[in-house]
Amino acid sequence: MGRYEIRIDSDKCTGCLRCQLACSDVYTKAFNPSAARILVAFSGADCTIRLLPECDACGVCADHCFFGALTKNKRESQK
Amino acid sequence: MKTKGCGFSGKVLHVDLSREAIQATPLDFGLARKYIGGFGLTVKLAYDNITPGTPALSSENPIVLGAGPLVGTNLPSTSRVYGVTKLPSSETIGWCGAGGMTFGCSLKQAGYDHVVIHGRAKRPTLLKIVDGHVEFRDAEAFWGKGIEKTCEGVWERWGWPAGILCIGQGGENLIPFSMAYIDRMSTLGRGGFGAVMGSKNLKAVVVKGTRGVEVADRKTYRTLSNEFLGEIREYPYLKEWQDLGLLKTFPFIPRETYEKIKKRRAACVSCPVGCKDVVQIRDGVHEGFTACSSSVMNLLTPIMYGFKDYREGIKLIAQLDEYGLDMFEFFGVVGLAGTLVEKGIISSNQVDTHIKIDSYPSMSHWAAKIAFREGLGEVLAGGFKHIFETFGEEARALAPPVVKGMHPYAGPGAAVPWELFGTMELGQVLDPRGPHVAAGGSPTYFAKRPLDVFPRHMKRMGVPDEAVKRIIPPPHASHEKMALKVGRLLKYSHRWFSILASMGICARAQVNRFYNASRCAALYEAVTGVETDLEKLRKRADRGWTLLRMANVREGMARKGDVLPEKWFETSGFKDYLTEEPLSRREAEHMIGDYYEEQGWDRHTGIPTPASLESLELEL
Repeated sequence: MGRYEIRIDSDKCTGCLRCQLACSDVYTKAFNPSAARILVAFSGADCTIRLLPECDACGVCADHCFFGALTKNKRESQK
Repeated sequence: MKTKGCGFSGKVLHVDLSREAIQATPLDFGLARKYIGGFGLTVKLAYDNITPGTPALSSENPIVLGAGPLVGTNLPSTSRVYGVTKLPSSETIGWCGAGGMTFGCSLKQAGYDHVVIHGRAKRPTLLKIVDGHVEFRDAEAFWGKGIEKTCEGVWERWGWPAGILCIGQGGENLIPFSMAYIDRMSTLGRGGFGAVMGSKNLKAVVVKGTRGVEVADRKTYRTLSNEFLGEIREYPYLKEWQDLGLLKTFPFIPRETYEKIKKRRAACVSCPVGCKDVVQIRDGVHEGFTACSSSVMNLLTPIMYGFKDYREGIKLIAQLDEYGLDMFEFFGVVGLAGTLVEKGIISSNQVDTHIKIDSYPSMSHWAAKIAFREGLGEVLAGGFKHIFETFGEEARALAPPVVKGMHPYAGPGAAVPWELFGTMELGQVLDPRGPHVAAGGSPTYFAKRPLDVFPRHMKRMGVPDEAVKRIIPPPHASHEKMALKVGRLLKYSHRWFSILASMGICARAQVNRFYNASRCAALYEAVTGVETDLEKLRKRADRGWTLLRMANVREGMARKGDVLPEKWFETSGFKDYLTEEPLSRREAEHMIGDYYEEQGWDRHTGIPTPASLESLELEL
């Protein structure tokens, strides 16, 4: 269980992929959305956001979301 | 710290549609440095690959696509994609640029910075580029379909994200004001890029990849990026921009109405603002209809032409978007056709449905007629040039202003009724592709601003101090009024655009406001590892813009191509930006001379001087 609880509000997602870019940069040292531990599927009208099993809830995705689609809260045990 | 290759994917893909052959060549890093990348390098590749005199819709006319070195990083709004080719509306070599949505990032992830497309496919073709692997796919199933349906079909088959550049029926039918669309929302617009793709039987280019974009100096990048993103988060109007997009600047409909139809805002990859729109009509006969657009402002444009019901406006623009047609040119030619019918120049028996520019049923009918070249639609589909050829000088006299074969969309008689003559307005004549305002941004944009704020904005754009004195010369005496040299300022608008476009940064005002030229130099160096200061960046940007000029000089399009339309100087014509007095042709011609001179081009011929070519190290 990671440090943060990541909250998802896919209605606010714009498909900018800032979350996937930031995540991949942290874990692969390159900007590579396909290597991210979070997955956005954006068809325009609809959108789903999924944290992949390897996600350790570091919260970098939420740090880079400008639209409120991803927010983070510190878990109780981490406070 | 890494150096060579960072920021860039490192390869240029050459595609021959005629032979279904490809060749991937290593990116010439020396050349990339010289032109920054993106727009600048796309211009260079176009210059090298276009044979002078090649007609736009000939198989010999190549299409060059490019994405800059910042595209694919997470720097704000760095997803721009550029296309350069000979354009059919103007027969000039012009640039088209689009918010890249996922296309730019995916192209880089697929392993390429640029794609050069030659020849003509024997059958409708979809070019699929995935991680360095290129396929020529049969596109029969997509041919005849519109933009939305094509994109949906591609994503259904290959998943999202897959960057899609495609055309609708307008491009397929070689309409000179057809556009190509990226991910169905952004446009490689004005000038007929869609028709060039159509002439190649190229329905779509689809890109996907997993390769990753690295930056050279991660530590500096992180420092610069964190500081930068912090500034954006602190920007007091950010939320408003995110909520309203361009409707903040152009409030065509009340905010409550927009909130009612707003389904979702959408953004290009890495953009923290997000100016794209997905809207849904909530009531009336079109209830439930959903439209995606580069901006809700585009969807509401028919209101400027007299539409009373915004829902019908959305329906019409969505129809034009599906065909892939330029809405400004559509309204221009259909509006002229309506006038020609009224005057009896077009016989009423050629018109099966009354042409009424503020009526949805009428405009929807004529959109289809044009897209499919049926009846009178066949003539209108040829644009102003074909209308003038068909109906003669009488038609020309009744037409709205025309620049380089196209209808300017800002100014007298145009959709956007800006009347003050700033850099965007003059830029409609001096942009090689014709009337488009994106490259001409400056503090003269939209609302009139006091002159004392100009130096701050010019500094942000990287205008040198000595040039500021030429743009706003100090009065010789206390009774003299301050002056603004719009022509001289435009040179620096074009340079600023060239910097942003070559790096891959969006030029829209609500985004580029966060950038400044010094920051651009520092970010470029951090990403690419190429030593860059402000002066070097300026010179590289000028090199790309001047080479684009030379590409058109080679086509015989120097001063004689930069023609001011007479109608800009009639009774309700443009006004001087500062004095708001009617602008005379002489004054506007003088501005063109100033622009040339500031660029280092001959004041009278508009041709770059040997000295300026030498100083830019352009050996042609």
